[in-house]
Amino acid sequence: MFAYLIASGISTGALYAMVAIGLVLVYRSTGHINFSHGELFMFGGFIAYTCFVILGMPYFVSLVVAVIGGFALGVLCDRTVYRPLIKAPALTMVLATVGFSFLIKGVARFFWGAREGGDYVAFPAAVDPSPIPVGGIMVFPQQLLVLGGAFFFVVVFTIFFRRTRWGKMMQATAENATAAYLSGIRVERVYTMTWGTGACIASAAAVLMAPLTLLSPDVGFNLLLRAFAATVLGGLGSMPGAIIGGFLVGIIESLAGGYIHTGLQEVSAFIIIIVVLVFRPAGLFGIRRLRET
Amino acid sequence: MLRLFSRRNVMAAGVVFFALLPFFANPYVLFIGNLALMYILLSVGLNMLLGYAGQLAFAHAALFGVGAYTTGLLKLELGLHYGLALVAGVGLATVTGLAVALPALRLRGLYLALATVAFAQATLWVFTHWNSVTYGGAGFRVPPLDFEPFTSRPDIGVYVLTFVIVLVSVPLGWNMLRSRVGRAWVAIRESEVAAESLGIDITRYKSIAYVVSAMYAGAAGGLFAGMLGIVTPESFDLFQVIVHFCMVIVGGLGSLWGGVLGAVGLVGLQEVLRAFRHLQEIAFGGLILFTVLVIPGGAVSLLKRYVPGWKEPLRRTEHDE
Amino acid sequence: MSKLRATDISISFGGLKALDSVGIDVEAGEIRGIIGPNGAGKTTLLNVICGIDPPDTGTVWLDGESINGLKTSQIADRGIGRTFQTTKLFKGMTVLENVMTGLHGKMRANPLAAAFSFRSVLREEAGAARRAREVLEFVRMLEFADEEATSLSFGQQRLVEIARALVSEPEGLLLDEPAVGLSLTRVTEVDELLRRIRLERGVTILMIEHVIRLVMGVCDRITVLNGGRKIADGTADEVMADAEVAEAYLGAELDA
Repeated sequence: MFAYLIASGISTGALYAMVAIGLVLVYRSTGHINFSHGELFMFGGFIAYTCFVILGMPYFVSLVVAVIGGFALGVLCDRTVYRPLIKAPALTMVLATVGFSFLIKGVARFFWGAREGGDYVAFPAAVDPSPIPVGGIMVFPQQLLVLGGAFFFVVVFTIFFRRTRWGKMMQATAENATAAYLSGIRVERVYTMTWGTGACIASAAAVLMAPLTLLSPDVGFNLLLRAFAATVLGGLGSMPGAIIGGFLVGIIESLAGGYIHTGLQEVSAFIIIIVVLVFRPAGLFGIRRLRET
Repeated sequence: MLRLFSRRNVMAAGVVFFALLPFFANPYVLFIGNLALMYILLSVGLNMLLGYAGQLAFAHAALFGVGAYTTGLLKLELGLHYGLALVAGVGLATVTGLAVALPALRLRGLYLALATVAFAQATLWVFTHWNSVTYGGAGFRVPPLDFEPFTSRPDIGVYVLTFVIVLVSVPLGWNMLRSRVGRAWVAIRESEVAAESLGIDITRYKSIAYVVSAMYAGAAGGLFAGMLGIVTPESFDLFQVIVHFCMVIVGGLGSLWGGVLGAVGLVGLQEVLRAFRHLQEIAFGGLILFTVLVIPGGAVSLLKRYVPGWKEPLRRTEHDE
Repeated sequence: MSKLRATDISISFGGLKALDSVGIDVEAGEIRGIIGPNGAGKTTLLNVICGIDPPDTGTVWLDGESINGLKTSQIADRGIGRTFQTTKLFKGMTVLENVMTGLHGKMRANPLAAAFSFRSVLREEAGAARRAREVLEFVRMLEFADEEATSLSFGQQRLVEIARALVSEPEGLLLDEPAVGLSLTRVTEVDELLRRIRLERGVTILMIEHVIRLVMGVCDRITVLNGGRKIADGTADEVMADAEVAEAYLGAELDA
């Protein structure tokens, strides 16, 4: 039981980590939380659904299309929401991204929702759905795929972020946008890239997750809350913190659901957010910031 | 000519319209009117917290729900008089608002937004999962109200009650905003440090904002339970927050009358789209985005610019008193 | 006797020492200047005095009584007004409302009384408006009373901010670069205004200022900070003659 719960916690946690990465990426470079990040995730999932189920493309092709589509949507978010409001206060930006999130959700529901029996669509398994024994516990191959996929994307992202020119420009912009601008970095392009990259990792996560659960236009918000929990747990703005936080949230949720009450699986993310923000706002690893005057 | 549409005239016309509505409207139109009045309460409360005090809190729909559940359940389980149940609903919503405020006072900006989103979802979870009390996801029916000997029609009874509450509580809120309380809220919104340096106890005034806005939300919730006759969790989900936000933003953040206009204006839209969830989401999400991008001050900022007599305190000029 | 005194103030942010055992002693009725290169800790010292940044060590005394641990709003209520380096007028309020906000601590209306607009509340509001107008007249900004505060020019906003800090009739005023970015005529006005504030209102002033002409002209004494430490304290002439000051402050300025 314990091992099973941990295993499933780790595989969902890997997805949360992937969604959290995008959230943190955008937060670090712009100082804003993208409340529509969950919907970018959801939309990516539906793009893959269209390719895989409706158009009959192979799973991996669908994944690639979804990642590209997610990138485009992230860029759209940058252009329509972030760029025009770049000087606006944080409150305005939150309201705008919340508005944008419902706009996308409505569009997704228009195309893929409101079917008989609710808004949920099933995403068939990409690999053999029967569980196989691994180290004494039964796991679904899709869970292994999720774990492998998540690992792959996190590694690719880390290399991208730390080693490539774009990644370094993102880091420089996040540190100090003015200095980056003065040293010749085209900051606006970096922002676009940041929003796009964040959304494309989220899309990939959605494609990995979809076969394990059902897909619905409302799924984005659930993932967003998990990603929030992961980021605040890891300290808002810390990339490694968000990844570790993602796994922790997955595991806590799974254990709370398994040992205490199944309903707790849903609610533990909210509890984590509230408890961490109230008692340790800097997260588990973060340091307290200066108070701005 | 435009002077005819000054705030005072428009509001007077609105009061007359809502006062006469029960005499000529059919039950459906009366229900819409009642919804509009209820949304006025919600928008006034939300505007105080979000628009004036600048606290980015998403807990409003949850408090609205607490008001509705408390009122409805007390009526259903204890057979309490509706008026008493309503008062209890306001009371519990206020206490919950204070319970949100105490930890929320330590947070600001994005952290506050995140914590209150989580709180709103947790409350919704309680509504959905605490089956033994809340009747779970399907909700419950509120027993029919009785307004004898005033009227034999419960819908008219609730309508008139809502109308009277709006007529009393909106001016009270307006007075509060025109006083040192309203100025303290705006000061906190603009700069906490500057507010403190002028002797404003920001903890105290933020708490007041939470409590007052929770009272409005609780009253709206209790009335909602009464007029709809059924209480289900989905009336208080995140989409409801969006509807409330949309009304306040489209009407004008930080303008009490703007919020009132937004509430009345958008009730119709919501009603027309009621059967189409996706169109509601597109419309309300899109309207928020559009307003924030194109007319940041909301509709009332246009009125202020083009129609004489719309200036307000905390934006007031000499000629407007 | 000393009006405002800070002893042995140290404070660090994230390992960086912003103030290192700094002391300052301001006599009642004095106009004291604080100068020093950027990053010297001047604004931090003001923040410590008015309770925004609680110091790691040291004590702040007001009229011989320690005000350590008091909230900023309580310190304001004890009669310390404050303006900011970047003007912090409240957007969405008129000039008059901004200044009336400065009277917050002097007013008593509670939310309930305010909601019902009791006669006492209305009387208090009218009184507050009158006092706000009076102080706007004092800084010669009355004609702008009903303008949106943030629509004013930079220099005008600074004057309104001073009025807002003055309206509650504080005994001490902390000004953070009141003349920064002002034209020469404006600087002369500020010079004259500061003298009038002391003469007609008996206010003790502690101000940070970069405009040397203003500091040297109006301040009785000057405290020089550099790198979080106090390096000199005295009249304008004494400070100017100080070798360390010349090196640290004026030298830095000549280089720039």
